[in-house]
Amino acid sequence: MSTESQTFTEKYDLLGCIQCGRCTGGCPVTVRADLNVRRFVYDAYYEEKLDELARLAEIWDCTACHTCAVRCPKGLKPLEVLLGLRTMIIESGKVEPTVRDALQSVLLEGNPWEKSRAARSDWMEGLDVKIAEPGVPVENLFFVCCTIAYDPRVKSIARNIVGLLNKSGVDYAFLDESETCCGSEVFTLGEEGLFEMLVEDNTELLNEYTAKRLVCLSPHCFTTYKTRYPDLKAEVIHYTQLLVELLEEGKLNWKGDLQKTIVYHDPCYLGKQSNVYDEPRTLLKNIPGVKMVEFERSRERSLCCEGGGGKMWVESESKKERLAETRIKDAKALEADIVAVACPFCVLTLEDAMKSLGYEEEMRVAEIMELLGEFVEA
Amino acid sequence: MGNILVLAEHRQGALRDISYEMMALAPKLAEDMGCEVTVLLVGSKMDDLAKKMAAYGSKVLVVDDPLFENFNAEKYQKVLSALIDDLKPAVVMTGQTAQGVDFIPALAVEKNLPLVAEAISLEYANGTLKATRQLYSGKVNATVAFKPADTYLVTIREGVVEPPDAAADGAVEKVDSPLKDDLTYRSFVEYIEAEVGDVDITQSDTLVAVGRGLKEDKNLSIIEELAQAIRADIAGSRAATDAGWIPHDRQVGTSGKSVKPKLYIAMGISGAFQHVAGMKGAKTVVAINKDPEAPIFTVADYAIVDDMFKVVPKLIEKLKELKG
Repeated sequence: MSTESQTFTEKYDLLGCIQCGRCTGGCPVTVRADLNVRRFVYDAYYEEKLDELARLAEIWDCTACHTCAVRCPKGLKPLEVLLGLRTMIIESGKVEPTVRDALQSVLLEGNPWEKSRAARSDWMEGLDVKIAEPGVPVENLFFVCCTIAYDPRVKSIARNIVGLLNKSGVDYAFLDESETCCGSEVFTLGEEGLFEMLVEDNTELLNEYTAKRLVCLSPHCFTTYKTRYPDLKAEVIHYTQLLVELLEEGKLNWKGDLQKTIVYHDPCYLGKQSNVYDEPRTLLKNIPGVKMVEFERSRERSLCCEGGGGKMWVESESKKERLAETRIKDAKALEADIVAVACPFCVLTLEDAMKSLGYEEEMRVAEIMELLGEFVEA
Repeated sequence: MGNILVLAEHRQGALRDISYEMMALAPKLAEDMGCEVTVLLVGSKMDDLAKKMAAYGSKVLVVDDPLFENFNAEKYQKVLSALIDDLKPAVVMTGQTAQGVDFIPALAVEKNLPLVAEAISLEYANGTLKATRQLYSGKVNATVAFKPADTYLVTIREGVVEPPDAAADGAVEKVDSPLKDDLTYRSFVEYIEAEVGDVDITQSDTLVAVGRGLKEDKNLSIIEELAQAIRADIAGSRAATDAGWIPHDRQVGTSGKSVKPKLYIAMGISGAFQHVAGMKGAKTVVAINKDPEAPIFTVADYAIVDDMFKVVPKLIEKLKELKG
């Protein structure tokens, strides 16, 4: 997108900043990288400095967790200054091959994982899934997410919810191979043009299905559709919100007895960015035999796992401990048996950290839907 | 018919391999076309390089001028443009290299001449010049015919032919530089050398990759021994680079490098989707992992379910045996 009509200062409301520093003070990434977001907001005011700022490696350290935006007393979004600088780099074409390939894959195949569009609904194999048809009204239209659709580790999130939906009798439908990336990571990688195109195409596609609600399985898609798709007709919700409704209507029947201590990790995109804190906890609490504990840093103060902000395609230069490892160590100190999350990226980063720390024998990282798949009655 | 003009490429005082490789293709084509090969060298203080190129038996034209001390696409285009007018060559041949592709397309547009890029071979029959080039990552060879023109432009892929043996000495002739004044639109800044000892794993034919299963630094020695035995480079998963066992620039995966070796041996790597995405271009995948459920086995051509520390010494032993 051209910013001709708007200067960088206007676009990110840089003059609104009072340089209080709460953004940098709260930024989880500062623990392991030299990222000072307040400084960027200050320096970006000088247009002649922008090129130099855009070349600093730390602009790629931001995970777009939005802690800075949550804490800003002026209601600004300091992180978006960093994304704006990424856009400058993207537009100049000087981009890491990994980022280039992911963006090209979104353009050509509708997902950032360089997978074929034709394989997008392979996760449904062997399941009785209701497929949406344009013009046929449906209460709950599901949006799976590229990562859940293609990464075998997290496919079960989608597979398990299908089983649960079929039992509960709710009116639902899934998209077929036409489902296309929501652009969450495209936006945070700074490819504004491609993101605008996705917003246009997806709005047109999703509005064709006369759905009352768009139910997202990933918090990344959820927040992106909720906040960056102004013309979407359906109400956008996260699947945990739908499941709590079912729970309250008595449509979830529990089985078994877990007898485990669970700590819930708030995904940034679900918590900080969309204020969904209670529903995941309600679901977990209701699994028979569960003892819930809380991280010291939870809810609005939750520690980011570093999975978002395009970080699946960019490494930090920092060699310091990954935040996901810090998080797993905290869980260990709480004597948690299970670290439960409600986000596919959190599963991948936290599970990797758990393995790196050598805790795989005594601890488990699980998405809520994986656990519900095991503990909801047929 | 004019001659085949081969633009010899050089950098920092040394000829590039592609210059010799083109001398394997050009003479045969000249024979078919009934013309001769002329080598063109553009640079400053070119005497030594001119002698080296002349050893392949063809005439060498040298444009020797301090203005050409460093490669500059803009200047090369001017020189080639003037020499095409003067010499009317039948073919202008350059490497499909960073230098070649920097000016050949612009030259083709300027002179309105047909260009085939990245040819792997050329043939001339019944008045038509044809070039073979590869499509779909080398899965398909396509032969394309040039539309008739006075001069054909072609770039040659690097490393497709062996350089020929030197033949009789050819003549060296200096020609005046068609460029009288310096051009300032683009200027040379500096050479940035890759760090010595760095291996670019994206270019490796054989890779031995280790993951979390390596357990500790000191276990790397046996992996190095295996790598040496099969002339492989060593790479790692994110876990292995995080642990500091393998340098970060050798990380394979969506946040590291995408590799496409002929052989990829994954050891102690579970095969997370994000790692597999970085090595899916490998032709043959051998996976060694203790866990039979490890997802790496779903992409492996050969699967060994066992402790890598038991398997690797046996492999090395066997390799030594085979090599006698």
